[in-house]
Amino acid sequence: MNTSGTDGDLALVVDAVTVRFAGVTALDGVSFAVAPAAVHAVIGPNGAGKSTLFNVVSGAYRPASGSVRFRGNELTRLRPHQIAGLGVARTFQNIALLASATVEENLLLGRHHLTRAGFITTALRWPMAPREERRDRARAAEIAAFVGLSDKLDAMAGALSYGDRKRVEVARALCMEPDLLLLDEPVAGMNAHETAVMAHLIRDIRETLLIPILLVEHDMGLVMGIADRVTVLDFGRRIADGPPEQVQRDPEVQRAYLGTGEEAS
Amino acid sequence: MSEPRVDLAVDEPAGLGLPDVAAATARRRRSPARIPAALAGLVVALAVPLYVDAFWLQLGLFAFAGAVAALGLGLLLGQAGQLSLGHSFFVAVGAYGYTVLAAEGGTIGVSQQAGLALPPVVAAVLAVLLAGVAGLLFSPIAARLRGIYLGIASLGLVFVGLHVLFNAEPLTGGFNGRNVPGFTLPGLRFDSTSGEALYVLGVPFGREEKLWYLGLAITAGTYLYRRNLDRGRPGRALRAVRDHELVAGIMGVPVTRYKAYAFLISSMYAGLGGVLLALAFGRIVPETFGVALAVEYLVMVVIGGLATPAGAVAGAVFVACLPAVLERYAAVLPGLAPAGAQGVSPAVAARFVFGAAVVGLLLFEPGGVTAVGDRLRRGVRRALNRARGP
Amino acid sequence: MTQFLQLLIGGVSLGAVYALLALGFVVVFKASGVINFAHPALLMVGAYVTARLTAAGDVPFTLALLAGVGAAVALSLAVQRLLVHPMAARSVIAVSIMTIGVDVIVQTEIIRRIGVDILPMGDPWQDSVVTVAGVTIPQTRLAALVVGVALIAAFFGWFKFSVWGVAMRAVAEDPETAALMGVRRARVSALAWVLAGLLAAVAGLFITVFPSPGLEPVTAAVALRAFPAAIVGGLDSTGGAVVGGLVIGVAEVMTQGYASELAFLGQGFHSVMPYVVMVLVLLVRPSGLFGTRELHRV
Repeated sequence: MNTSGTDGDLALVVDAVTVRFAGVTALDGVSFAVAPAAVHAVIGPNGAGKSTLFNVVSGAYRPASGSVRFRGNELTRLRPHQIAGLGVARTFQNIALLASATVEENLLLGRHHLTRAGFITTALRWPMAPREERRDRARAAEIAAFVGLSDKLDAMAGALSYGDRKRVEVARALCMEPDLLLLDEPVAGMNAHETAVMAHLIRDIRETLLIPILLVEHDMGLVMGIADRVTVLDFGRRIADGPPEQVQRDPEVQRAYLGTGEEAS
Repeated sequence: MSEPRVDLAVDEPAGLGLPDVAAATARRRRSPARIPAALAGLVVALAVPLYVDAFWLQLGLFAFAGAVAALGLGLLLGQAGQLSLGHSFFVAVGAYGYTVLAAEGGTIGVSQQAGLALPPVVAAVLAVLLAGVAGLLFSPIAARLRGIYLGIASLGLVFVGLHVLFNAEPLTGGFNGRNVPGFTLPGLRFDSTSGEALYVLGVPFGREEKLWYLGLAITAGTYLYRRNLDRGRPGRALRAVRDHELVAGIMGVPVTRYKAYAFLISSMYAGLGGVLLALAFGRIVPETFGVALAVEYLVMVVIGGLATPAGAVAGAVFVACLPAVLERYAAVLPGLAPAGAQGVSPAVAARFVFGAAVVGLLLFEPGGVTAVGDRLRRGVRRALNRARGP
Repeated sequence: MTQFLQLLIGGVSLGAVYALLALGFVVVFKASGVINFAHPALLMVGAYVTARLTAAGDVPFTLALLAGVGAAVALSLAVQRLLVHPMAARSVIAVSIMTIGVDVIVQTEIIRRIGVDILPMGDPWQDSVVTVAGVTIPQTRLAALVVGVALIAAFFGWFKFSVWGVAMRAVAEDPETAALMGVRRARVSALAWVLAGLLAAVAGLFITVFPSPGLEPVTAAVALRAFPAAIVGGLDSTGGAVVGGLVIGVAEVMTQGYASELAFLGQGFHSVMPYVVMVLVLLVRPSGLFGTRELHRV
């Protein structure tokens, strides 16, 4: 793995990351790299450490050892809001929206790190504050349209369907104008139709914004359909890494998912 | 003892379980009745001193003092979700800060009392800043503590503060307290002086009348400031911190810094409330600034509505006025005994009401009285719509 | 040296009382996730009932004490069943603020009934002292120590080995799995609140006997010191509650005993000492000495 200062034109480099808590090793020397404008999937059985990985990248956990580099910055030394400031946005497995606020209010939170209206300028209504707010609302409306939620901007986030709420999460992440998007189980709990809609959206994002997308997922169909590269984790360790077709045929992967002595169908 | 457990939940929501300000604000903005209603209220408030006697004006001043402090606590608890029971500490900093800065130093009776004899306006501003600094100093500790630990740690602040107030006699006058210097604006004395009578529209304007307008102006200003904060970017960020602290950070909100801002502003509000409170009392004693006062502010924001600035003001008016109103009409109200006699005195009755209101509202309508008002309004509108027919 | 030993024993016995209070408080927190700000009210109710019954004249002390414990337990259970349980889905802070409301109601009534009186407990020890090796200890303090240690030991034995104790630990550790294994969380919560009432009432007795003049409104402020004791130990650690109680008790009595040497800190500093200790501990350990630490602080 490339440990020198030059990560070439790789967008995100995860380098030998190890996370331990309460006697459990959640991640054990995991390494992989995400190429620019690529969709990179991380898969693995439950408990394999996928969400832990996301939490390390977005700054919620500090690893015991290893490094995570994004555009020359060492993410493991930064606080979550600083990582957000670098352009790293994510969605959450269990949907972390403000249920009793409107969709628009939720989207506007994503604009926080891009604007500057503070405790004095906002309260005294310095011209800067309403101007920024108008721009933010316009941009949020644009992104809502892109995601297909234009008609739901004024709805309470808690009243929406599960699929819609997941899309609000994606929209909120997009409002951060990210340079790296982390999607945590974007189609978990969705039926076939909703999954197809989300897959379509992810492809749209990749094609329009040309940003790298790292996604954690269980749904093999989605992963094989849209991922450029797949990393497989099992018990916190990387057991495979490569293009989807190659990973699918890997015997280690089959064993991790299906148990020993059986072949994948 | 076994290995300490560690908390792994990243996206576990916290919050207060409140109907959010954002939605309520969005709805209210569109209601056309708002502005005329607000103007009417303002006209009434301006006219009050012309018709009402000193007792009610004095009460009003206490209400204003409570409102300003409650607006600050509402910001800290309702918007930022930080349960701090130390609010009375910062109120004390404001009250005693103003008193010491504005008083004439020297010997009173047998004791030395400190005073810088600054102009009251300057003293008031400095006292507020002092309270803000105290809030800033406390905030790094506060930021490291989980919500519930903060509630109890802030109680400690109150007790330490009380101890200092009782013991720092040259500054605070100790147990017996200190007189509060009267307020003056350049060219206008607030305290009544003989031979100097100000008349407005035929009504004599004494201390209570002038202080009423001062309190009204300050309350209106702080109300608008808080309302603008709530509606804009800072309010959104604070609510994100309240409901999902870790997620807020990941969304780009510098959580520790925003908690510090919340403490700074709320303690400045508390300090300003303390200045008004000192002016309302005329003489302050340390006993006032204990846990009971901190609980009182909490009661104000819970009854009025934790999340909205209007709720803070409404709650403050209710809490400030109820005991006095009950006392005034104790003779006619059943079940109330006059002060000193056996039975339930008006002050005690008021406390029962407050406790019951807190329990009841949190059980059934955590949005407080303003949320109840919202529901009634919506219910009325729905009934009217139905009555209009298909 | 004698003074130091005397103070130490006094501090440990007061610490045992604080430990009882803190333990009940922590047990409720672990079982219900709630900060019960009405905990001092439980203590006041228990002490009030006991004091009134012994003052009535023909009620033996033990019976009065049992009645006081019963009253505290009844109040505690009522709060849990009627108020806390229906709010189970709400945020911790909301429920905790609700208990503040309960505390206001109960304390207002108790203080109204006490008025300006000071109610003696009618205990059998009164102001007798015991002298051992030159060290003089009030009998009440000795009783507090013995009863405190006995109750704490009984509690931990029960907690570790009995079916209900294990159930309570299971609920605190992992409520979902516990539920799947058939543990009724509501029952466990109710039991926790019952324990809290019991421990608070016993603590209340020892706070109001010699050298304290009796039950008065200001007793509630003493009861409030359960909170820093629990925080120092760590809000979700039962062992921590005991350690916290002892630390606070010893610190308070020591500060009071050496007050003349510490005069520069102001008069009555010993009653603020628990809070000072709490703040100092929190500066170093934001979750208390034995509390669960947050992992994800970056």
